[in-house]
Amino acid sequence: MSDFDPKETPVMMPTALLTPIAIPAFQCVTAAGDTLDKLYSALIAHGSCLTTLDLFDVPFDTLVGIVKTPLPIPRSALKAYDCRNARLALKALEQGDLRHQIATAKQRYGAARLGVVLGTSTSGIYDTEQAYAHMLAHQTMPDNFDFLHTHTAQATAEFLSKELDLQGPCYAISTACSSSAKALAAAQRLIMADVCDAVLVAGVDSLCRLTLRGFNSLQLISPDNCQPMDVNRNGINIGEGAALLLLERSHADNAHCPRLLAVGESSDAYHMSAPQPEGAGALAAMALALKLGGREAQQLDHINLHATASTLNDLSEAKAISRFFINPPPCSGVKGLIGHTLGAAGAVEVVICLLAMQRNFLPGTFGLQQQDPLCAIPMLTQPRLAQSVKLVLSNAFGFGGNNASVLLEAPE
Amino acid sequence: MKSMNLLAFAVCSTDAALREQWPFPCGDIDRESIPVMLRRRSSQAMQLAFSAAITACKQAEIAPINLPTLFASVAGEIQTTDQLCHELVKADGVVSPSAFHNSVQNTVAGYWSIAHQSTQAATALAAGQKTCAMALQEAWCQLAVQGGDLLVVCYDERWPDYLAPGLGQSAAAIALLLTADDSRQGLARLGRPQRLPAGADSSEPLNFCTQPILEIAPLLGIVAAAMPSQNVSVALGSEWAVSLTI
Repeated sequence: MSDFDPKETPVMMPTALLTPIAIPAFQCVTAAGDTLDKLYSALIAHGSCLTTLDLFDVPFDTLVGIVKTPLPIPRSALKAYDCRNARLALKALEQGDLRHQIATAKQRYGAARLGVVLGTSTSGIYDTEQAYAHMLAHQTMPDNFDFLHTHTAQATAEFLSKELDLQGPCYAISTACSSSAKALAAAQRLIMADVCDAVLVAGVDSLCRLTLRGFNSLQLISPDNCQPMDVNRNGINIGEGAALLLLERSHADNAHCPRLLAVGESSDAYHMSAPQPEGAGALAAMALALKLGGREAQQLDHINLHATASTLNDLSEAKAISRFFINPPPCSGVKGLIGHTLGAAGAVEVVICLLAMQRNFLPGTFGLQQQDPLCAIPMLTQPRLAQSVKLVLSNAFGFGGNNASVLLEAPE
Repeated sequence: MKSMNLLAFAVCSTDAALREQWPFPCGDIDRESIPVMLRRRSSQAMQLAFSAAITACKQAEIAPINLPTLFASVAGEIQTTDQLCHELVKADGVVSPSAFHNSVQNTVAGYWSIAHQSTQAATALAAGQKTCAMALQEAWCQLAVQGGDLLVVCYDERWPDYLAPGLGQSAAAIALLLTADDSRQGLARLGRPQRLPAGADSSEPLNFCTQPILEIAPLLGIVAAAMPSQNVSVALGSEWAVSLTI
């Protein structure tokens, strides 16, 4: 049961249940490492993976979640797409048996029935910044600068599609920090509308000067490790990462795989960079995810919070949860471990939720020491082991009041 | 869903030559389309997108408040991003907080939801040269799965010359009001975008491809001519096409 007051329900379309979509394969590269085992170890060890920034200079102190291992370079036929974002995506594609799983899906359904949807906020802008530095010094852009293959939001989606020789629809959703959560929604619809049988969803964002200095201009960057939901919180840490998830029409062969049940999407209609203080948009997104997924609030085992450790975001999200749930499930946020991976966060944190389901644990909230009394929700500070995890919500909220809440379910 | 029902469309451009060229009405920016409170922060992209979108809503007599939106653009807020990039590489560069949050691709989508108090889902999509085709693909999926109405706006402001020489020279926005409801009076029925066979001679070369989002203009030209037609395949750029019934 929920104490959500129906009078506050935003106007919604008549909504039928969405079709569950199988997730047979996923990989994720972040500051926590390149493999799922490394990510799992970092979540269990519960120590920060954030470090000082050595990729470029910024005029302030902070910690970031940077991918530390060498990044692969796209093959020569696709060198037009080469940028840090494409390299991060390629790195994730090379992990585990992901390529093999995609090849199997391609063989089964045909290349035209496999789509790619990328969520990214800044695409190849790290490399664009280098090009502008060149222009400052030489008055011209460098010869190898390729705007439509690196800078624009679809670039790394096209790169992945060409790298894998796929022929289905290929595009990017770029709604700031909800981008790749919404990419999952688009992928589910591509399969439900019978446009695709499988879709590769990517959430990829790279560290860059724009986001570091931009968030600093908003006075939101923490000089130290961030402290989500903590009374002493002091801003956010930026991270980078690439998460790739193969989504596939449900059938007997993938019945053992976790499922995407629904994504609830809403708008705050409030402010470009501040969330609605009562959490109305966040609440609507969570409510809609449960409604579209055909599940009840009390069935949830966990909520992976957006919990950036910006005061306004934390208060708004906590308010949404305490308004919507009588007894909220255990909540936690991972941005103190790996940073806020911005447009990649939706997909990266869905991968963490899927790991939690597969390996029976709930992540903790690194950085949380003294919970803000204004955020009166059941926070997990430490990871909880030997915990069966069947149904999870994962939140991603972005600039523009753009909200997405992803509902995931473990197989029977 | 058998087809998307096009209830209304509106086109807007800052380019006078372009406005003359179309076989359908094309307005200039209408600053009244943006609430006064938001006007001073508005980019060219936002002014164009709002102008076309509000015209389409009025024509279809649909209030924006309950309307989900899909804003599609190749380069988004490229003028603001360009200005920020110049600052970011200077030793003493200044990054303005409002320029930063107004540089995201969903800036127009966000301000539209604020201006019209719409809490419906708002999506910002980008697909390079295939942005129009993929916008219609995403629109098809949203309408097929959720039903209802959808506002789709394809827009791009003028790009700085040095980013992609020869491209992004025209600034324009095209708004479409689509519905899954086949029973309503519409201008045309659109099919699901299909990939053209490799090497297909899609159509005559388009003379306005300096701005990829204008690749939807030929389709609108056929709609404007209102010649009854059944399942005519109309190219959306060189790789995708959509079937049109009037």
